[in-house]
Amino acid sequence: MTQTKHTDPLTAEQGEGMQTPAGRTGFIAVFLRELHIIFTTPVYLICMFLLPMFVMVFFTTLMDQGQPNKMPVGIVDLDNTVTTRQLTRKLDAFQNTDVVAYYNSVDEARLAMQRNEIYGFMYFPKGTTDKLLASRQPKISFYYSYTSLTAGALLYKDLKTIATLGSAGVGSATMQARGYTQKQIMAFLQPIAVDLHAVKNPWTNYNFYLTTMLVPGCLMLFIFLLTPYSLGTELKFNRARKLLLVAGDDKWTLLLGKLLPQTLIFLSVFYLYSLYVYGILGFPHSGGTFHILLLGLLAVTASQGFGAFMFGLMPSLRMSMSTCSLWAVLSFSLVGTAFPVFAMDPAIEGIAQMFPLRHYFRIYQTSVFNDFPLSYAWVNLVAMIAFSLLPMLVAGNIRKAMREYKYME
Amino acid sequence: MTTMNKFFNILRDTCYICLQELKNVFRDQGVLIFLVVVPLAYPLLYSWIYNNEVAREVPVAIVDLSHSHTSREFTRMIDASPDTRVALRCNSLDEARQRIGRGDAYGVVYFPEDFQTRLNRMEQTHVGVYCDMSIMLAYKAIFQTCVAIQGELNSRIQVKLSGNYTDRENEITTRPLDFQEVPIFNNTAGYGNFIIPGVLMLIIQQTLLLGVGMAAGTAREKNNYGFLVPIHRRYRGVMRIVWGKAMAYLMIYVVMAAYLLCAVPYFFNFISLVTLSQLALFSLPYLLSCIFFSMTLSAMMRYRENVMLLVVFSSVMLLFMSGVSWPQSNIPAFWQGVSWLFPSTFGIRGFVRMNSMGATLTDVSTEYRALWIQTIVYFVLAHEVYRFNIAKARHAIHHRLLRLRLQAVSSSEDNQS
Repeated sequence: MTQTKHTDPLTAEQGEGMQTPAGRTGFIAVFLRELHIIFTTPVYLICMFLLPMFVMVFFTTLMDQGQPNKMPVGIVDLDNTVTTRQLTRKLDAFQNTDVVAYYNSVDEARLAMQRNEIYGFMYFPKGTTDKLLASRQPKISFYYSYTSLTAGALLYKDLKTIATLGSAGVGSATMQARGYTQKQIMAFLQPIAVDLHAVKNPWTNYNFYLTTMLVPGCLMLFIFLLTPYSLGTELKFNRARKLLLVAGDDKWTLLLGKLLPQTLIFLSVFYLYSLYVYGILGFPHSGGTFHILLLGLLAVTASQGFGAFMFGLMPSLRMSMSTCSLWAVLSFSLVGTAFPVFAMDPAIEGIAQMFPLRHYFRIYQTSVFNDFPLSYAWVNLVAMIAFSLLPMLVAGNIRKAMREYKYME
Repeated sequence: MTTMNKFFNILRDTCYICLQELKNVFRDQGVLIFLVVVPLAYPLLYSWIYNNEVAREVPVAIVDLSHSHTSREFTRMIDASPDTRVALRCNSLDEARQRIGRGDAYGVVYFPEDFQTRLNRMEQTHVGVYCDMSIMLAYKAIFQTCVAIQGELNSRIQVKLSGNYTDRENEITTRPLDFQEVPIFNNTAGYGNFIIPGVLMLIIQQTLLLGVGMAAGTAREKNNYGFLVPIHRRYRGVMRIVWGKAMAYLMIYVVMAAYLLCAVPYFFNFISLVTLSQLALFSLPYLLSCIFFSMTLSAMMRYRENVMLLVVFSSVMLLFMSGVSWPQSNIPAFWQGVSWLFPSTFGIRGFVRMNSMGATLTDVSTEYRALWIQTIVYFVLAHEVYRFNIAKARHAIHHRLLRLRLQAVSSSEDNQS
């Protein structure tokens, strides 16, 4: 199929030499031309400003609670005594749980879980208190579900605490009756106590934990896609030769002039994100401003480098964009925030190194979230710089594509 | 007879359009990638990534200033636990901290100097657990292991102090109220079992959005006038066009859905508690609503590649809105509302509960109804969008024709004068 059919308003405008003064070539001319394209094409504005802002607001407001509070749980209390009711009240008082319903049997409660009415439940069989008083070790159970891992883990914690408290309550009452002091009772019931220090995120705030990977991941996704898009559309809309002309047939002028305006825009969006989460929402960032700024710069240039490299490898708009989509989407899994990379197959551990987001996360983890020197993540720094420099390998190829290739579907 | 004829005509046109659309899909490499290759390959990739399901042997650094029997026993038990291993022994907390910075461990277990002394004095003693909070599963593994070991050691100490005679007495002393933990449904706490069902469902919607959007962009680009619908004698009724196209996609996606929702869980031994008939009943409105949803959005695509820019990023957000990662009960009302726009929200919720929790169609009736409502709404929208596009195309052609005629008339007038 012939390519002349793609009519793009810009082609027509450029024919007149609208935004570049007639005959002007060189870096500045390419730079201005690119700026003009960006600010007159709606899809650039949408993907550079509108959607990134939307993503930022989405994740930060979605997880605004920090931890899922008041998740619905049920109670199956066949004993119905002061003791079981007390345990129920204690469970209800926990931050993460909310006792919303009572059921007459385990089956009913299980059905309620399948209908999504509750996420877990506690079961007190008949005679629990009697057996407890008679020292015949009754057995209660709690049911929770890891079909939602976050909800499951948090409910498990609360339900288990209640179950353990039941035992401790009995022990404490017996010892008090025998006249032990509170200190003695504690030393007997819990001779070894665990002091948990959840370093830098003592609230176990999921917003701090997930947003700081998801939003940069999405920003990098847009850069991944827009870089080959901006290069490929030159071919698609038959502007490539004109671009070469403006660039004076120099591959560096072409590439830098084309990518630098995007770098500046993406960088300002990335810094806006940083300002929003660290400055306004107060996410932990003990690494300090310099690390945040450097990491933002590396994230933008590495993603651009990767996108341009993919286009240079296969100067077909569709193939390079498809590959970049694949890369961007897989990044969210291979970054290793939710499911750690060390737990994956060794082959995947290796593959994960080919994803800029993985290195972004390692640097973030080391030098922004925790306050370690950048040198501790030097491998990742080198990798990010290498990603940024990748287009150097294919600059010639990109120029060749602009000169000779036709848009392929 | 005429009604029969008319019906036959409609059927023939619909089938023609369906066949034409199928041909388009299989001829266009770009569309083929999204409608066939990605749904086939992605689940395999994801299943491979999450194949190990759980994080085992998380490296822990030990700082033992106590050098006592109990601290060493605690350390040995950490090493012996399935979820953790002792990777380092450091001489100070600061040394351990530096090693964490270098990624050699994800947590520190710290025994202060007086750890054993306090135990001997019959006082409560403390063990410090410091976790790197940047990986939640590592934190969970270390913390839960330490709590379990603490419980075990505490029981042993209690038994020693109680001076009981029988094992049964010991059991009752350490745990007067026994309890059982039952992780129902996903009983391995596996990450793959948790995330994959949602991802499988999401892949259906996202690939349809990409594939259908790209096909529509191509149709526009290939059309000389930038129209979505070609001018052809069989493409005359909006109903025929919408149904013809939808049937083509449905034919492809029935196969894909069978692969994604039945074969993939079978290959990788993911939880699958759903029966085939229930699954078929549930997927039908899901596929239809996804198809009509994609067709509605696809009409807005001007160029074929734009669809990637606008669709790919939404995958993660849609997964979060479905309530798999972040519990549904805790999604703010506003986003709950937004989530109702997407078939994936109800599709994922229903499928996860049927597939992973053994719910029946009655248990997911809310989601099932919502999907049928979405099917109807998006069908009407797709219909309207197509009708609007066709009307616009007709209008444009009409104008062009008029202009040509005027030109012809004026030129003939010129000739005459």
